[in-house]
Amino acid sequence: METGQSITLAALSSHLLVGLSRAMILFIVTSGLSFVLGVLRVPNVAHGSLYMIGAFAAFSISTALGGGAWGFWLALILAPCVVALVSLIAERSLFCHLYEREHLMLLLFTFALMLILGDLTKMIWGADYRSIMAPPLLQGSVSIFDSPFPKYNLFLIIVGPIVAIGLWLFTSKTKIGKIARAAAVDREMVGAIGINVSWVFAFAFVLGCFLAGLGGALVSPTISVTLGMDHDIIIEAFLIVTIGGLGNMWGAMAGSLIFGITQSFGVLFWPQFAIVFPYAAVVIVLTLKPTGMLKSVW
Amino acid sequence: MKRKKIDILSIAGIALMVGFLTIGLTLLPVEAQAKNIKVGIIDCYSGPAAVYGEDALNGFKLALQEINKKGVLGKKIEYSTRDTKFKVDLALNMAKELVLRGDVDLLVGTINSGAALAVSEAVAKKEKVPFIAWISKSENITGKKGHRYVFSTGENTAMAGKSGGVALSQKPYIKYWIAGDDYEYGHAIADAAWRNLKARKPEVELIGKSWWKPGEPDLIPYITSILAAKPDAVIFCTGGRSMTNIMKAIKATGMAEKVPVYVHTATDHAVLKPLGLDAPEGVMGTMDYHFYYPDLSANRRFVKDFEAAYGHPPGFPAFHGYNTANFIAAAYEKAGSVDKEKFIDALEGLKIDSPVGKIEMRACDHQVIMPMFLGVTKLSPERGVAISSDIYTLRGAEVMPSCKEIMEARGQ
Amino acid sequence: MFQDMLRQKSFGASAAIFMALLIAPLIIPKFYTYILAVIFVTALLAMSLNMVVGHGGLFQFHHAAFYGVGAYTAGLILVKTSWPWWIGFIAGPIGAAVTGLVIGLFCIRLNKLYFGMLQISLGSLIWAIAFRWYRLTGGDDGIHGIPMPEFISGLKSSYYFVLILVAVCLILMYLILKSPFGTTLQAIRDNPERCAAVGINVRRHQLMGIVVATFFAGVAGVLFITVEGSIFPDLLFWVLSLEVFIMCLLGGWFTFGGPILGAAMIVSLRTFVGTYTEYWTLILGVILILLIFFLPDGIMGYNYLAKLRRRSKRRSASRAE
Repeated sequence: METGQSITLAALSSHLLVGLSRAMILFIVTSGLSFVLGVLRVPNVAHGSLYMIGAFAAFSISTALGGGAWGFWLALILAPCVVALVSLIAERSLFCHLYEREHLMLLLFTFALMLILGDLTKMIWGADYRSIMAPPLLQGSVSIFDSPFPKYNLFLIIVGPIVAIGLWLFTSKTKIGKIARAAAVDREMVGAIGINVSWVFAFAFVLGCFLAGLGGALVSPTISVTLGMDHDIIIEAFLIVTIGGLGNMWGAMAGSLIFGITQSFGVLFWPQFAIVFPYAAVVIVLTLKPTGMLKSVW
Repeated sequence: MKRKKIDILSIAGIALMVGFLTIGLTLLPVEAQAKNIKVGIIDCYSGPAAVYGEDALNGFKLALQEINKKGVLGKKIEYSTRDTKFKVDLALNMAKELVLRGDVDLLVGTINSGAALAVSEAVAKKEKVPFIAWISKSENITGKKGHRYVFSTGENTAMAGKSGGVALSQKPYIKYWIAGDDYEYGHAIADAAWRNLKARKPEVELIGKSWWKPGEPDLIPYITSILAAKPDAVIFCTGGRSMTNIMKAIKATGMAEKVPVYVHTATDHAVLKPLGLDAPEGVMGTMDYHFYYPDLSANRRFVKDFEAAYGHPPGFPAFHGYNTANFIAAAYEKAGSVDKEKFIDALEGLKIDSPVGKIEMRACDHQVIMPMFLGVTKLSPERGVAISSDIYTLRGAEVMPSCKEIMEARGQ
Repeated sequence: MFQDMLRQKSFGASAAIFMALLIAPLIIPKFYTYILAVIFVTALLAMSLNMVVGHGGLFQFHHAAFYGVGAYTAGLILVKTSWPWWIGFIAGPIGAAVTGLVIGLFCIRLNKLYFGMLQISLGSLIWAIAFRWYRLTGGDDGIHGIPMPEFISGLKSSYYFVLILVAVCLILMYLILKSPFGTTLQAIRDNPERCAAVGINVRRHQLMGIVVATFFAGVAGVLFITVEGSIFPDLLFWVLSLEVFIMCLLGGWFTFGGPILGAAMIVSLRTFVGTYTEYWTLILGVILILLIFFLPDGIMGYNYLAKLRRRSKRRSASRAE
């Protein structure tokens, strides 16, 4: 039986663009994870759960506002805020007391948080599949090299770099961003010059989770919003962060691009085993550059 | 301080563990010598498959309300549920707990085919307890791996594939492309569909195949490549959460307008509901239950009661759950006692009424014979959702593999 | 001297518990025999992980891959070939150890988190292959009803088989950890630079530690088949690895027997709490958080440290007199 598809320009461009749009979502989610990892030195296993909550919150908000354009755009802004609020509560009430502990304990905490948030999501939203519609402006597709490409995915390709630039400006130009970056490299020093390190951590954590929520809200029109989204994304996010360089935002971008595009092209060139392409890419990267592609913050 | 010593407290810890278990033993309520019939339900109530598990349970509960008014052999039917979280080892643990500790009279469940097969072998066959699979679709459950103690009230991949094959053999398409989820379910449907299609219409040609990981969100590139190959028709073999993704992708690329598309369960309400009026039209699908068809009084009553109890119409898992409860009640009535072996004998060949008419539990393989409904998606603005239209009913006997084929598969 | 006495005492206590477990199936209901067997298998898996994590200091994030390879190797041999059963049972741990060696070679050059991540990738590759290769492995349906030799096919007989093998493995593990090799491994965990400076081949030691640990994981995999009779891709999935990791942390990862307790707790929790509510993961999460706050070194660890504190207080008190 034949497998695989004919490699035409249409197919190539279509796969490339889908890979890019997927990579942008991965980037937004992973940049948050990377940021938290860089500043707090802890891998946040609950990051995927916050992504999932972002998607569900976007669904609820847009449905409450009657769907349509207003529903979508407001959901896009408010859902990440909801997620940020949830993370702030978790951080201030529980997490911040653990900063002096062993790293493995912090990891264990985020794992516990993932379990709790997963079940809470089920309790609040139930088990049904949800879906939200893209706003009318972004519905439908454009024809690129003779193949249809959804406008919404184009939107994602544009949003990704905007978030990246915004994040970069924020961390390098604003005072609090710079403090956060400094804390990532040397927290004792930051504490020594009189800055409340605990609040810096809180800020970093909340920002990271905001990005996770944003990713979830952005991805919701393209897939079905279900329980279990947290497990799917977290392993990919971790691998991307590792190959990109811990705590490095541009590394997260590079890693996401590799992940998204290898997955997409894997499908085109070797559909039987496309499922392993991203993992193979990770193996190759780590073999060639054991500490990740770009410099890690640690 | 990271020294490691074996210390007396490691041992104390183990004592603690034993204590834990003893507490479990003594403090947890022992099942009283209940006079009722006990059904143990293992299913998935977490994660993406939860929506199906809950639907089946709701259908089951609805039927029980009616049944328990009269009772069965002077007893009521009670049930307890266990969440397997779609994991096979949890399913095994829970099934054994229900059978060995909970002392249930029969087991029912689950959506995970791997779990169903595991429970069928390790618990049903070994402990000689009847097990009725009600959503899992692997044809191996009652086919190759079937045996005396396992039954199925759901449709399986062999039936689904055959329906697709039969339906498509009546169309003029020659060049086909097959695509779907890269797991057992997807491949099984593809094989069954192709086998049956080719048998009925030898001139069909398979020009290509594509497979993606289950739950893959970005299906557009696959569709693009398929369209580029210009097939006469496309068969999609997707399940569960991929259904919404494939329907969205079909809509986004306008595929159904360019090339005929067939997807088993495309017309399932659980798939079409979240899409609302954004669902693609013109997609062919087969389904074993619709809440709006056939318009029999039994179906209308079922739907009305279900909506009154749960606030939304029933899906196919609810339909299966409802039938399962009725099969159980009827079998015990016929058997005359709460005996596992008599129950099995009574259940074989049993016919009951269902919302779609009379259905039968086939004796040779313990698979329920049900009709399949082939239709095309069409938007229904009054309902705010797409429904199946131009429905053509395939009779149960047309879509089942024959008893002879099943016995051969089992090596008997 | 003091240590010897301690060892005698605890050895006596373990022997007592072992005796109790031997008699148990005769008194307790069938289901509890089964659950105890499950706990033994899981405990062995957790202990094998702790060899490299707690005692070796490596971030072994995908230990389940080796467990799964052990189970699949033995299972496939039992089902697909007509070789005698003991070949399958021996091939399982060997297959796991070989996999451990190969993956270890890839990962050992990396430090800390990267080691773990690469292992997750490679392990996931194995999972994907098992998931996809339907003809060989049964794909995501798995293979069920694996035939066991007569003498261990019953509930009680499989229980005893598992109990005895796990006990033997635990004793072996203890001896290995106490041996010069084991002490070197822990020294490497605490201060790799110093060890390298005195001429110890750090990488080789760690690799050997991994091979030993994965061998035991393979044994656990074979024992799993003995109890459940099935193999399926979940056994190779990273979520299971994370769960086993949590068991070690829960029980106390720098004590010898901690993981056993962690495994017992988690299996008991999900089985017994699971009969009441589908939200038992929420309860597990809450318990974990409580433990983090109040018993941060794991349950065993807390006991261990408390006892040490008391002991040193007593000693200084008696010295003061």
